[in-house]
Amino acid sequence: MAAAANEPQSVILTINDIEIEVPRGELIVESVKRIGLEIPIFCYHSRMKPVGMCRMCLVDVGFKQPDGSVRMMPKPQAGCTLPADNNMVVYTDTEKVRRDRKGVLEFLLINHPLDCPICDRGGECPLQNNTIFYGPSTTRYVEIKRHLPKAFPLSKYVTLDLERCIQCGRCVRFTEEISGDSQLAFRFRGAMMQPSTFELTDFESRFSGNVIEICPVGALTSAEYRFRARPWDLQTKPSICLECSNGCNTWFDYRVASLVRINGRTNEAVNEEWTCDKGKFGQNYLNSPDRLTEVFVRDGDKLIESNWATAFQQVSVAFQSAGSKCAALVGGKASNEDIFMLKRLFTEAFGSNNLDHRWTRCLPKSDALYRVATSIADFENEPVIFVFGNNIAEEQPILFLRIRKAWFRNDAKVIVACPEACEADTFAHTSLRYRPGTEAVLLGAIHRAATGAGGVDIAEASSITGVGEEAIRRAADAMKSGFALAASRSLLDLRNGEHVVGALSNLTIACNSSEKYNLFATSANEEGARQIEFMPSAEGKNTREILEACASGEMKALWLLECDPLSLSHDNELVTKALETVEFLVVQNHIKSECVQFASVLLPACAFSEKDGTYTNLERRVQRIKPIIAAKGSAKPAWKSFGELLLRMKGDPPPFHAHEVMQLIAASHQKFQSAIYENLEGEGVVIPANQSTEPQAVDVEYTAMEVPSNTP
Amino acid sequence: MITEVGKDVVLPILKGFLLTGKRLFRDKSTVMYPEQKRESYPRTRWRHVLARYENGLEKCIGCSLCAGACPARCIYVEAAENTNEERYSPGERYAMRYEINMLRCIFCGFCQEACPTGAIVLRSDFELADYQREDFVYTKEMLLEPMPVQSER
Repeated sequence: MAAAANEPQSVILTINDIEIEVPRGELIVESVKRIGLEIPIFCYHSRMKPVGMCRMCLVDVGFKQPDGSVRMMPKPQAGCTLPADNNMVVYTDTEKVRRDRKGVLEFLLINHPLDCPICDRGGECPLQNNTIFYGPSTTRYVEIKRHLPKAFPLSKYVTLDLERCIQCGRCVRFTEEISGDSQLAFRFRGAMMQPSTFELTDFESRFSGNVIEICPVGALTSAEYRFRARPWDLQTKPSICLECSNGCNTWFDYRVASLVRINGRTNEAVNEEWTCDKGKFGQNYLNSPDRLTEVFVRDGDKLIESNWATAFQQVSVAFQSAGSKCAALVGGKASNEDIFMLKRLFTEAFGSNNLDHRWTRCLPKSDALYRVATSIADFENEPVIFVFGNNIAEEQPILFLRIRKAWFRNDAKVIVACPEACEADTFAHTSLRYRPGTEAVLLGAIHRAATGAGGVDIAEASSITGVGEEAIRRAADAMKSGFALAASRSLLDLRNGEHVVGALSNLTIACNSSEKYNLFATSANEEGARQIEFMPSAEGKNTREILEACASGEMKALWLLECDPLSLSHDNELVTKALETVEFLVVQNHIKSECVQFASVLLPACAFSEKDGTYTNLERRVQRIKPIIAAKGSAKPAWKSFGELLLRMKGDPPPFHAHEVMQLIAASHQKFQSAIYENLEGEGVVIPANQSTEPQAVDVEYTAMEVPSNTP
Repeated sequence: MITEVGKDVVLPILKGFLLTGKRLFRDKSTVMYPEQKRESYPRTRWRHVLARYENGLEKCIGCSLCAGACPARCIYVEAAENTNEERYSPGERYAMRYEINMLRCIFCGFCQEACPTGAIVLRSDFELADYQREDFVYTKEMLLEPMPVQSER
């Protein structure tokens, strides 16, 4: 508060006879919260511009006159559009205000159907709540209400009930201001005004699920959650989303041990309060009948149900005899604890260093190329952002929202380079749509244009990449005094991925922004696996070498944790050959995947909702998950099974709780010391980056790659 | 001595017999249960019934308000959506599953009070004894009123 007092930008106003100091320009509806009061609202949303559509937030406002008297305005004012100012006097609870609120609610309820008992919003509805607190107890309206289509499917996920809409415009503003797809708009006027898509097309958005949450009535409801439960039937626990590497915070609503819906949970540092549709609607695999719940061991051609003891027996025999000829690969949904214990099992009990978590085509050794320097929240204040490579809205939806916010709020220049049309183009300062395969050439041209040296000739590059010279110069102009890079590790899937990433690194060094170089992870705990160094050390093999060694029969045993190589790897032929050839294959996963058919031992693992643990998101934020529902069948958290195996093979005392594993991680990896469980409540902990030396420019071939025409 | 015995012992006995004698000529207040059953009061709260409209449609819309109001948490409702081909109740929503655990129920009648359509009602059938615990979980089929006879739509 002391710092605020020194700031000239603050003003002093009186709310309900209490004097408070607030920043100039703060809206009354926000200032009121500072003294612990709340003004009822419908259309106002703190993350969107105020519009004053619903008139629910009316307050009495006056001004102190020079002679000390207070002159009240003749009519109440909308608190959501009125900025705080000096000498302002606000009353939120006078008889007049109460009467006005009653009137507003009576108007809103004239056309609102009273089908609360069957409305999905009933029980958690702002309109219900405000009516109970501030509204009239009966209605004087006896005429026939407005009748409009009910349960109109706006898209596969969102159902619109037009009768219930109170025309607050939150959904329309969300698509305009936050997600930026401008899919919704108001049609018609007056009582008939309704939110809808243009030309009644499908509501196609990556963030459509959010409008369900921000709708203050039951007009926009989830098609999936429709009629599945009432709010009081549900139990709600905090969780995080593992669908991509952003690590969004979510509320996990469940009923009778099965997931019912996912809602966004506020974490200002990560997802603010938003979720993407992948995270909100894509988690039904948790209830799927394909979940792996029992241990299976191979008996001839078929897998027969077994128990952990038998499986451990077979596994320890097979891996011990394989010695250093065994390997482990993990996918993105394994927690820090799982990965660490698997690493311990392999290095300490099996004596093997063939460990990897990367599935890209190129696997550069240099740690510097995998740097992540900028946090998600920092992107909001970056003046120049270079989005390179794949469609960022698809790969990192929440990061995309931040970058869009940087443009929308702070006028950031966003340069978008993507081989296909993407959402980020809509607000791009310069959009560079290059031909697939010409990434390195484009970067070389920008390098030349920004620094006047190195890289490739701009005119030549223009003809190869299909990007105009003008656009390249324009982008380079914006970027040459520094930029923040937003690129993802999927670039390493390119044939010349190492060169492309090297070119990006060179470009950041040339533009003095190597401390803003970011090559983001693409799957939930990829960054965690990197920080725990689940990677081959000097003599170990990387993913590709492991698969090749399996295919040639050199590798005797392979452990697959939470991954399906057939969907992760770019080379399915090699994967199939490897899985067929390898003598002993352990598949440990929470769900059955295609590679199950090759497994020698099939171990069930707990999904994220069933175990304790931590995940590290793309900005190295370690976040905690807690067990929400009971483990299915005989599944157990993967780290527990590794501990038990270590006990069986080496007699090491196993950790009994995930926090003990985190202590072990912190003991062997300094940077995790801040991430012990006591510190992980709230927003999580960002662990420091690897201490690396000043990044050096790397040799790069600025050449285009031939891309087979059948690749998308 | 004799007068005292007469006053304290004989007289009360005679009084008692007199009272009994008088009652002999009144109507009997006991009934021969279970052959005979006493008429219950109109607001008696015993076994639940899920009511139907006259046209045979269920009154229950699966809103789960009864479950929310239930202090014993003995009601479980799962709703689903009506279609025009398969219609259970008027409107959009109906109860796909409706279960009451009668062992937990305290017959307070809050569910009846909470019900917006008057679907769940506590009626006078009080003979709820059974042999298996599982049998006390009354399903929707057991709770639903039989179809009205005239409903041929």
